[in-house]
Amino acid sequence: MANNRRHFIIATLLIIVCTWLVYEVLDSVLVKPVAAVAEAGPIDEMFDQHIWLIAFLFALVVVFMCYALIVFRSRGDEGDGEHIHGNGTLEIVWTVVPCFILIYFGWYATTMLFDITKELPDEYVVSAEGRQWSWLFSYPDTGAVTEVLVLEVDKPVRMHLTSDDVLHNFWVPEFRVKQDTVPGKITYLRFTPTVIGEYRLVCAELCGRNHSGMEAVVRVVPSDEFKLWQSEQLAQLQE
Amino acid sequence: MSLFTLGIARGLVGQVLGMIIGMLLTCGVRILLGWEAWKAEPAWTVGAVCSIIGFLLAVGALDDWLKWTKGVATPMHHGPPIDKPAWTRYFSVDYNHKVIGIQYTVWGVFLLMVGGTVAMIFRTELARSGLQFLGLELYNSFIGMHGFIMIGAILLGVGGLANYLTPLMIGAEDMAFPRLNALGFWFNVPGSLLLIFSLFVGGWDAGWTAYPPLSARGPIGYQLFFLGVFAIGLSSIVGSLNLLVTILRMRPAGMSLFRMPIFCWAVFATSLIQLTATQLIGVSFLMVSVQRAIGMGFFDPRGMLGEVSPMVGGGDPILFQHLFWFYSHPAVYIFVLPGLGVVSELLPVFSRKPLFGYRWIALSSMAIAIVGFIVWGHHMFVSGYNDILRVPFMYATLLVAIPTGVKFFSWLGTMWGGKIHFDTPMLFVLGAISVFLIGGLSGPILATVPTDFPLHDSYFIVGHFHATMFGGFVFPFFAALYYWFPKVTGRMYNETLGKIHFFIMTPAFWVQTLGQMGVGVMGMRRRIADYDPTLGGGQVENWQLAVTIAGFAIAFGVMLMLWNFFQNAEVGVAAGDNPWRSRSPEWQIPSPIPEHSFPAPLEVVGEPYDYGLADSGYVTTATTGDD
Repeated sequence: MANNRRHFIIATLLIIVCTWLVYEVLDSVLVKPVAAVAEAGPIDEMFDQHIWLIAFLFALVVVFMCYALIVFRSRGDEGDGEHIHGNGTLEIVWTVVPCFILIYFGWYATTMLFDITKELPDEYVVSAEGRQWSWLFSYPDTGAVTEVLVLEVDKPVRMHLTSDDVLHNFWVPEFRVKQDTVPGKITYLRFTPTVIGEYRLVCAELCGRNHSGMEAVVRVVPSDEFKLWQSEQLAQLQE
Repeated sequence: MSLFTLGIARGLVGQVLGMIIGMLLTCGVRILLGWEAWKAEPAWTVGAVCSIIGFLLAVGALDDWLKWTKGVATPMHHGPPIDKPAWTRYFSVDYNHKVIGIQYTVWGVFLLMVGGTVAMIFRTELARSGLQFLGLELYNSFIGMHGFIMIGAILLGVGGLANYLTPLMIGAEDMAFPRLNALGFWFNVPGSLLLIFSLFVGGWDAGWTAYPPLSARGPIGYQLFFLGVFAIGLSSIVGSLNLLVTILRMRPAGMSLFRMPIFCWAVFATSLIQLTATQLIGVSFLMVSVQRAIGMGFFDPRGMLGEVSPMVGGGDPILFQHLFWFYSHPAVYIFVLPGLGVVSELLPVFSRKPLFGYRWIALSSMAIAIVGFIVWGHHMFVSGYNDILRVPFMYATLLVAIPTGVKFFSWLGTMWGGKIHFDTPMLFVLGAISVFLIGGLSGPILATVPTDFPLHDSYFIVGHFHATMFGGFVFPFFAALYYWFPKVTGRMYNETLGKIHFFIMTPAFWVQTLGQMGVGVMGMRRRIADYDPTLGGGQVENWQLAVTIAGFAIAFGVMLMLWNFFQNAEVGVAAGDNPWRSRSPEWQIPSPIPEHSFPAPLEVVGEPYDYGLADSGYVTTATTGDD
């Protein structure tokens, strides 16, 4: 088995190099949009940990596979390989070790999920209604109804989502989180915009003919601009 | 010889007649009730039901049972039809499992071509942003059609492998219920024809998942789609029942469950899921069907049909998703378990080494089948169901990684220390491992809810499940086709063409899957006819073009394979009885296999995968002696 030990040392070195390579490739291909809400930070952090895990496991399997294919190719030998039926210890190891990784990720995800969905004391409530194939937003505090979603920066938002017809889904890629809108009930989505700018809200649940075009503009504006916009809306309503 | 000596030709006529009779029946009932005679929706619905029955009656799949009701005996006929050319048995009802296996496989490959063609059409549309030549309605119909035609193709491919191989691997004379076996296949033909034909009555624009309320208000194509799926589902149920009984009751003495060829374990696990979960997709689609046809609003929260009547409202669209995914998630394991079984079956043969951890691999299939039943809710993380449900479904989903990992590591153990040969089937097995690895590894990131938020319903999902489908089914299926082709035909395919196919298709698939996942992370949604070209800093279009080119390369590879088979099926080099030096029972008998596969009952004398153990054997048959 001295030979096996040499194989494992070489394979281990290759796995380290390969993990780093795969991570670099994935990191350059999987280009995330700008992170424009507070919740995007932890989500992206967890995403990155997943990519490292993917890179490592991919390297682990592929390096061992390619290594075996090269070292143990038949070389024209029509004979058989070693008569090994398995190894109980190894099977237990590769059953139990992944369990710990899963428990780690499960726990990490659970705590983060509760954290990013929990109710905050000073949430600003906006209702959004999806309809084939546009969005309508209403602001309970002013009574305004708009087709552009205007939000104040650094202010936690709770969206009350519903639908007038079929299922839709509220998604701004820069905000990461998404939620279906369901006719006949209200669903909720919470996030805190942190970056001033203009984003695109899209429908991420197939909703018929013009699904791909069901979009709305989302503007995240500074506090004073938001106040100004609110007073404009109020003035319009009073006319 | 008249065309109508072919069962399938009679069946097609029967299907059209059934459709007409069903429509007339509907009109008649409506006239009797004093309503307007013609209403398209119920007429097409009843017509479609009658068309399935019409096909089965005309093709002759129900003949023997109908005779039994009249007390007429129907002795089992073996061999090709007496008064017709031998090839006609493949186009008519035949009870030999080897014929039925080929019928399944050929019809599956046909559907694979149809589904692939549809994919190529909309993939071309997606190569550039903006709408070039497809309309929105047609695009939306095509994505659903690609989805379900491919699901049908995979179910038929699985049925083909399972029906052809299972009795041979356990040395059984045939399946336990040959008539049921034939019926199981023939359900698929009218079913898949309804799926295809639905395109001509408006198609269905809610994707293969057909979520209401959208599916409850679309064109009539939905009804044909629902009933087509229903017929294909019935095939799954009777087919899996047959396989379970065959595996449990028809093994020879000495072949304990842990001495079966490993593929039979995969078939067993798959059949368990098929027998118990398929009903749920049937129920969910049937409920939408009756909601549409007669207004029973199971999934209708408040009268989506725009009618004012006591029969609207009170339903819940989310209920549909629970019912639908209770089948449709385990369905994924129905597709991949037989494929992974093929990988486990072929690796020892080409590595010349025993299967590493036989029992672990066998039980991991069962574990995947069982855990598969409690993970459906991960498709609904953002559906608006009770938020707390996300947590148990997340843990259950992560759990699937454990038995899947056992398979991967055991495969590595099988290769390690072997004497590996690189024939085309082995190449496809290796391709399957690499591709299924990508599919599997992109799973946990979707299982943990926070990272699922940005990826859910994005193109990342498209990349993920195409990797699992290709790695878990398509690559192993092609490996199986190359591997058993000499057994079925007695001829060898062209090895060079096979290798070219592999070296085109595998890198192309890697590019495709990486591109699909990439554009998903950039923010592209799935199921959209047009996308924002500025996504990912403008990179999205380059990737879309790459994915389209890769898709065409894959299609070219598949054509090459079919041409290879077509060329060599009759005139190729004689392959001999056991070109791969396998120990499995089906390779110990002549190629092509005679009508009665085994001249005498098998005798089990050893373990199935004892490669490298001198003077050992697995089974002996009366004809053994040449090897």
